[in-house]
Amino acid sequence: MMPIWTKSGKKHAVTLLKVQDCHVLRYISKEESGGKTSKLLVGGKNASPFYKSESAMEIFKEAGVPRKQKVSTFNVTDDAIIKPGSTPLYAAHFRPGQFVDVTAKTIGKGFQGVMKRWGFKGQPASHGQTKTHRRPGAISTNKAAKVYRGKKMPGKMGNIYRTSFGLKVWRINTIHNIIYVNGSVPGHTNCLVKVKDSKLPTYKDCNKNPPFPTFFADGDEKLPEDLYDEEVFQFTDPSVTYA
Amino acid sequence: CRISSDGKPAKFQPPPKPVIIDKQKQREERRFLSPEFIPPRGRTDPLKFYIERKDMIQRRKVFNIPEFYVGHVLAVTTADPYANEKTNRFVGICIQRGGKGLGATFVLRNVIEDQGVEICYELYNPRIQAIEVLKLEKRLDDNLMYLRDALPEYSTFDVNMKPVSHLDHEEVPVNKLQVRMKPKPWSKRWERPKYNIKGIKFELPENKMKEAQKWSQPWLEFDMLREYDTSKIEDKIWHEVSEELKK
Repeated sequence: MMPIWTKSGKKHAVTLLKVQDCHVLRYISKEESGGKTSKLLVGGKNASPFYKSESAMEIFKEAGVPRKQKVSTFNVTDDAIIKPGSTPLYAAHFRPGQFVDVTAKTIGKGFQGVMKRWGFKGQPASHGQTKTHRRPGAISTNKAAKVYRGKKMPGKMGNIYRTSFGLKVWRINTIHNIIYVNGSVPGHTNCLVKVKDSKLPTYKDCNKNPPFPTFFADGDEKLPEDLYDEEVFQFTDPSVTYA
Repeated sequence: CRISSDGKPAKFQPPPKPVIIDKQKQREERRFLSPEFIPPRGRTDPLKFYIERKDMIQRRKVFNIPEFYVGHVLAVTTADPYANEKTNRFVGICIQRGGKGLGATFVLRNVIEDQGVEICYELYNPRIQAIEVLKLEKRLDDNLMYLRDALPEYSTFDVNMKPVSHLDHEEVPVNKLQVRMKPKPWSKRWERPKYNIKGIKFELPENKMKEAQKWSQPWLEFDMLREYDTSKIEDKIWHEVSEELKK
């Protein structure tokens, strides 16, 4: 995480996400998947092929791509289909000023009590409390005569998929394939993360002229090393003044 | 003019050229790497530090951040939208330098009209227009937070102070000043060995000093897991930074 300053002098915290060897693995049509839109399977970071069975490696062999650490599905419209295997995906697929949802597995905290897991208040430390300081207390009423399903109780906390919605993209580094995303992102440092266009209704019409279907490196466009949002203060400029 | 032995006028002999021994260049160049360049120990990808360093070097090319340590007296002018002329100038002694990378900060302290004021500035904040070093002076400690509990005369600095001149090649002088404190209670128990303060003149009785030594942890200096040898990293980064800044 890093600070980033806007031209008006405000500071925002930014998370750096690196796009590392992303390839499209398979195209699943609408009828095949049974959903409303067709899907594209995309794989992330390269990993060793020796630790998975032959049946798991079939997808990668078919696409002609080394084994990927993480595979995720993206619901895509029919005009945004990319041919699987040969096309790598780059960070320039996203543009500064766009809004993004980031999904990842949260940091695993193990088996945790009810105060840390659900934020219960617990009991006082003194004034006669016998062996009761962090317990849940009552779990149901008398009339119910049962405990409802989904009652908040101690258990394994973390290590589940969670999403942060509506994060602004401030800057993109095309050489190292890094996306600067506003705010914090679930997961530990160097964990694998899924970045999608935002589904929030306020940012529906935000992205004007995105690279469609994706940014192809061998195309005609030569992008500069860094793409900044209009409001971002670039360090090549002189200091900010309020005239 | 002298008459030569030949009787003809002597050919003009120019005086021998003086040999200039430049003592400044003979002395070894003093290396200084700002402490925020050194990456902290952790599991972060070194690529992140490389990219942050590129940004920091880029900012240093446009705006000069002078070499300074804890104990220097600095004057910082920032852009302030609510001031008359849109700038705000603050003079103070640097009591602490914290943070790594772009978020590096330094705290300046001064006593203005009997009120102690501390302002924490970010080194790479684009609103900072100028940083001038008014007085170069290192102190015995790395962290002068105890000035909050010292007599106010040690933290007062004239706002219109003139910069004290300093030659480039000389070493930064160390001020071995022992500061006198206000009566206890203090904000922190500065006599305890964990703070390792050498710059206070403790006027506490002997038994209090002995009791403070009860909290000493003499095994800490032998703990191998706490060792973080930064000499090689510093060397590499210093070479990288100085090469980039020369361009």
